[in-house]
Amino acid sequence: MNERLNLQHAVIRYGDNIVINDVSLKVLAGEMIFITGVNGSGKSTLTRGIAGLLPLSSGTLTRSERMSYVPQVEEADRDFPACVREIVMTGTQRRKKLFYSRRDRLNADNAMRELKIENLSDREIKTLSGGQLRRVFLARALCGEPELLLLDEPCAGLDIESHRILFGVLEKLLANGCAILMVTHADSDLDGVKNSRVITISGGKIHE
Amino acid sequence: MNEILELLSYPFVIRAIVAGSLISICASVLGVILVLKHYSLIGHGLSEIGFASLSIASALKVPAMMVSTPSVIAASFVIMFVSQRYKTAGDIAIAIASSAALALGIVISSLTGSSSNTGAYLFGSVLAVSEGDLIFAIILSLIVMSAFVVFYNRLFLMTYNEDYAHSLGINTTLYQLMISVLTALVVVSGMRITGTLLISGVIILPAVTAKSLASRFKTLVIISGVVSFAAFIAGLAVSFAFNIPAGAGVILSNAAILISAKFLAMMIKRK
Repeated sequence: MNERLNLQHAVIRYGDNIVINDVSLKVLAGEMIFITGVNGSGKSTLTRGIAGLLPLSSGTLTRSERMSYVPQVEEADRDFPACVREIVMTGTQRRKKLFYSRRDRLNADNAMRELKIENLSDREIKTLSGGQLRRVFLARALCGEPELLLLDEPCAGLDIESHRILFGVLEKLLANGCAILMVTHADSDLDGVKNSRVITISGGKIHE
Repeated sequence: MNEILELLSYPFVIRAIVAGSLISICASVLGVILVLKHYSLIGHGLSEIGFASLSIASALKVPAMMVSTPSVIAASFVIMFVSQRYKTAGDIAIAIASSAALALGIVISSLTGSSSNTGAYLFGSVLAVSEGDLIFAIILSLIVMSAFVVFYNRLFLMTYNEDYAHSLGINTTLYQLMISVLTALVVVSGMRITGTLLISGVIILPAVTAKSLASRFKTLVIISGVVSFAAFIAGLAVSFAFNIPAGAGVILSNAAILISAKFLAMMIKRK
């Protein structure tokens, strides 16, 4: 059994406030989980917890080492002196690796090609639209060759064409055994992906 | 010309030029990270804590570096941690710590009768650069430059998005500590020349100048280093020519370059 994520009895707090309460979740290779819920229900908190950005107050987390996280795009993400290629390349960095290899560069080129942003590779990120920057973040996640991909509202602000490109890429990843967790608000995202489940978060707990 | 050659014949002038140039370059490249991460006030906070530590060292009659190095490093850990964890509270913490440290330094200097040193601490002196300071500056600059070469990709990612670096399994605390320690060491060594009140300017101004001219991180680091070196030499020349404190000359040179760069950037944008 190819388990990519195993979260057991996870509790995440902000101070005294319990945001995620005794949540357990298993995700297998090639499986896609959509996480839905109203604003403030804890979808992003759960994703950040799985990404290791928020500590679990209790519970256990086991996940693939090759994990990529695509956060929501914020205005501050654009305010940096870098071009698209430089940002995409950072997705290949790992704990014990200080320099980029030839393979990393090839992966970055492939990821940009898959997301149809190869023509933007030398563009400064401050000149990109929100949708373009989302695709850059996706390319960054792809070039790390993830076994587990966490996406926090990747479709927000995407036009139809970008949406189609994104789901095409995700289908390919699933076929190659990557497990995907996607936070989404859009019902239209939930249809048409094979081997997918929808979980809803409310009151800090998940309901399937 | 003869006057310049005569000045260069004094060992203390050579020491000041070499040590000051190296520290200015180190300060400015670290300043790029601090400016982009919105930690610009950290240098200011650390320098005033450095002033308090120099006053304590003078009162205890022990070597300044013995007190200021550990205390500024410790303060840099606390400030970075608070700034990172509590964001807005970080600015408030720096403002409180720096004004309290400045007041403490002045009180200690007054009570121990060492207030004659206060001016030298606050505004710096090129005469203060000893051979030991010069060696320290050379070693520090080698460490800073090596860190930028070896860890360039990491520093780029850490500066852009620390959370993302953390999600990749990178030990972000370790790199944060590295930046804190190097910044603290630059502050400690630089405040002897430019003074505690002005060292933060040497850290921040060249990076802000470079930010208005460069569109890539690497270029920004290089321009910041070049600007800082040029401003240091120009500032030192002005200080010798008009007999003013070196730190003030360096900061005014940096400010003049910053204004020129902003003007240039504005003109290029209009075209």
